[in-house]
Amino acid sequence: MNRRAPGPTLETERLILRPPELADVAPWMAFMGSEASANIGGPVPALRGWSSLMFGAGDWALRGYGMFSVVEKASGDWIGRVGPVHYEGWPGTEIGWAIIPIAQGKGYSVEAAAACMDWVVDVLGWTDIIHTIRPDNFISQKVAKRLGSVNQGLGKLPPPHEDLTVDIWGQSAADWRARRA
Amino acid sequence: MSQAPGPTLETERLILRPTALEDFDAWAQFMAHDASRFVGGPIPRSTAWRGLMTMAGSWTLEGFAMFSVIEKSSGRWVGRIGPWRPHGWPGTEVGWGVIPECHGSGYATEAAAASMDFAVDVLGWTDIIHCIDPENTPSERVAQRLGSTNLRPGKMPPPFDEHSINIWGQSAAQWRQNRQRLAR
Repeated sequence: MNRRAPGPTLETERLILRPPELADVAPWMAFMGSEASANIGGPVPALRGWSSLMFGAGDWALRGYGMFSVVEKASGDWIGRVGPVHYEGWPGTEIGWAIIPIAQGKGYSVEAAAACMDWVVDVLGWTDIIHTIRPDNFISQKVAKRLGSVNQGLGKLPPPHEDLTVDIWGQSAADWRARRA
Repeated sequence: MSQAPGPTLETERLILRPTALEDFDAWAQFMAHDASRFVGGPIPRSTAWRGLMTMAGSWTLEGFAMFSVIEKSSGRWVGRIGPWRPHGWPGTEVGWGVIPECHGSGYATEAAAASMDFAVDVLGWTDIIHCIDPENTPSERVAQRLGSTNLRPGKMPPPFDEHSINIWGQSAAQWRQNRQRLAR
């Protein structure tokens, strides 16, 4: 049975954003096992990939939000995960993104992240949004800039990611609303 | 919301229910204690959070995971026990971890027996294993009480593959018999 975590489905021009389901485990493990995941703490063994998807599903089940799985409308393919992240000890309320290489360069991260920014501001009532981005991850920095976020300086992630150097990008909900209007 | 989807079991002294958000403080405290060294600890609170959420996610997507064990007399969370099979795991496990204050209470055996019933009767598992550190004598005793035997040395999947364990276990058919003996 392909169970899905409880939660809403969002739709953008080219994408469907929905809570994670069991069938997402295989492509997520493949992504997290590849060099393409270097910017978000990978590559990691398959078990870690399994855990991180389960962990996202647990977020939805226990707190009513978590990262969405992103599906490309045209192909029906799962292409990554984008959405709200606010784990224990996290430096703020984040919108994060991870799109698999084959779907990169099409503006999908910006499209999905913008829909998530609307959702966390309008539905969850978040007042600030951050993005934790490695200083050498220029692709994600470009996404953050397109969203109108700015680099607020070096940040610290809680264990087990305490050794990962990240900048904290972000903006306030008010700024985001003004930008979207 | 706030509790993962799944069934609730009841034993003489315990309630077994899916992982809930309210378990976090007790869970984090347990995983910070040295007594958690055989179940992946000790680890900081933010890492323990991931473990709790992973358990809740396994309930949500796999349809099973370890139960949160609640002591009926006090209402407190005393551990997590039950079916567990992450990706690459050496088999279908029923595992246990009980807070140090309740060691020696027989809770691990009581909750594991109910979980074995659930794994066999509801999940349809045909074999049950317990991955046990060779130095974890108290857990070996629990396994023995359940009627499991030390089947072979085993290996956990990476990143835990450095860790040597023994695979204890029994078949579902054996459990049906051992269950009768345990009930008497």
